[in-house]
Amino acid sequence: MSAAAAETSQHDRRVVIEDVTHQYATKGQRVTALEDINLTIEPGEFVCLAGPSGCGKTTLLQLIAGFLRPSDGRITLGGQEVRGPSAERGVVFQQPNLYPWMTVRKNVELGPKLRRVAKAEREAQAKTYLDMVGLGDFLDRRPYELSGGMQQRAQIARVLTNDPDIILMDEPFGALDALTRERLQAELLTIWRNTGKTIFFITHSVEEAIFLGSRVLVMSARPGHVVYDKPVDFLSTMDADMPVGQMRSLPAFVRMRDEVSNEIHASGG
Amino acid sequence: MSSTPTTTAAPPAGPSKAALAEQRTVDRERRARRRAAAQRYGIRIASLVVVLLLWWLVTAAGWIKPLYLPSPGAVWDAFVRANSIHPVSEGSSRLVAGEQGYYLWQHLLASLQRMAIGVGCAILLAPLLGFLMATIKPIGLIVEPYLNFLRALPPLGYIGILIVWFGIGDLSKVWLLFLAAFPPITMATINGVRSVRADRINAVKSLGGNFLDVWRYVILPSTAPDILNGIRIAIGFAWTTVVAAELNAGNPGIGYLAYISGTELQTPLTIACIIVIGIAAILLDLLVKGIENLVVPWRGKA
Ligand SMILES: Nc1ncnc2c1ncn2[C@@H]1O[C@H](COP(=O)(O)OP(=O)(O)OP(=O)(O)O)[C@@H](O)[C@H]1O
Ligand SMILES: [Mg+2]
Repeated sequence: MSAAAAETSQHDRRVVIEDVTHQYATKGQRVTALEDINLTIEPGEFVCLAGPSGCGKTTLLQLIAGFLRPSDGRITLGGQEVRGPSAERGVVFQQPNLYPWMTVRKNVELGPKLRRVAKAEREAQAKTYLDMVGLGDFLDRRPYELSGGMQQRAQIARVLTNDPDIILMDEPFGALDALTRERLQAELLTIWRNTGKTIFFITHSVEEAIFLGSRVLVMSARPGHVVYDKPVDFLSTMDADMPVGQMRSLPAFVRMRDEVSNEIHASGG
Repeated sequence: MSSTPTTTAAPPAGPSKAALAEQRTVDRERRARRRAAAQRYGIRIASLVVVLLLWWLVTAAGWIKPLYLPSPGAVWDAFVRANSIHPVSEGSSRLVAGEQGYYLWQHLLASLQRMAIGVGCAILLAPLLGFLMATIKPIGLIVEPYLNFLRALPPLGYIGILIVWFGIGDLSKVWLLFLAAFPPITMATINGVRSVRADRINAVKSLGGNFLDVWRYVILPSTAPDILNGIRIAIGFAWTTVVAAELNAGNPGIGYLAYISGTELQTPLTIACIIVIGIAAILLDLLVKGIENLVVPWRGKA
């Protein structure tokens, strides 16, 4: 099979970021948040992006999501240029971002509803994913009646129900306590394994990046460059359900963690 | 570390115990809020009883002349008289209905009708202008100064020109109420649209929503609490305006009755009118609040 054939395959839903530079214009002066980013995200990858605060992680995510247009370069999904937000790129926001004027169920159904999926069908889909994230008993609650962790789960269910090609997550567990965070990390890993979704995940925590990711990226500070890009390969040979606590003591884990931490510090964090 | 087998809890499927406990806490808090509300009403009713008692005491003891402050009983009698057929004066055999040719409730109804038309039109049109001003920049730029100018004027300052344009009758009063209610609702709508969080709009777009979906599922529900709040302010403001506007040719009208009875030294009736005007204002406010609770129950919670 030729490379060209693979390129044009229907199933090739890779995200390609080519020479992307992004500048913000503030009060007459320009801030270069990202410079010459080149990156390819393969279908099924769980890419974790770490880096010092202000290095442009959110900017990169918003570019992929289509909330921002790059000042230079281009981003494609399956060969199609990204020109704005679209259902093929689902987003889990850092802050709980469900609509308080809808019940949890209606929030989760919204994607299929926008695509005119029949009521019974979309209700069933929503129920499936709400059950998956453990919210099956809270369908008719309003989002503000749920805790922060439950709202983040509902956000994840909302995106899963919409069946995007790639899920973009911007520090989705950043505001949660350690215990809830660990539980949601485990749930997210299970979901990733079961659905095979492509995930692009931003985090401040090196450990979270290595624990979750199949590939870890580190970005340097202003202007943002990708300075570290390695697959997390030691896990594939391990027990898939290994909890974080146990993984922390693996030599391979410790080595990678130190490597990534050094990169972040070297890059100005 | 020893090699004792670690029992690791699998991630819970279904709602965990902790989640259920949390839900119970949320419910408990809601009950506590309701109890606190009941307590607030209790205190208010008690204070009302005390005020009425003091009023009665002051007048019964004769410390203030009835012309200046009639007793609660006299005010009540005036209220009943104004709502019934009664002799035109003490001992006379000529009977009249109510006061100034109308029952008190008809005066009140007439004022409320003027409100319904004037404010009703503002409620229909002001949000439209607000949406236009907030979304189409040039319109906002051009119209906003005029709106601010109109808002700064006391409505009674321009009733004169409205009378010239629309006559002394009801039409000028309805226009007055419309113009009084319009700016607060428009401004509230603009503020509402401008404060819609970008994330909220982005979320529906990345679920596949188009321009109309953004309006239907995000901008309209997001701004609904602001619009309702603007309507509440507008109604309160318009009500104070209608009462004053009825000083000229406002019969029937509760403001007219309050004014004319004062000039005729019927103090008990004046006070009865004042109380009716105040209670009507409170009830109108409660009505809008009730609608708010029905239509935007999430208000202030997210
Ligand atoms: N809307 C904006 N206008 C102007 N400058 C911005 C804007 N958003 C971000 N920036 C700048 O771009 C740079 C990158 O910001 P970005 O939010 O992408 O960082 P980040 O890596 O997500 O940081 P954090 O980890 O703190 O969330 C920062 O220097 C920031 O000041
Ligand atoms: Mg960020």
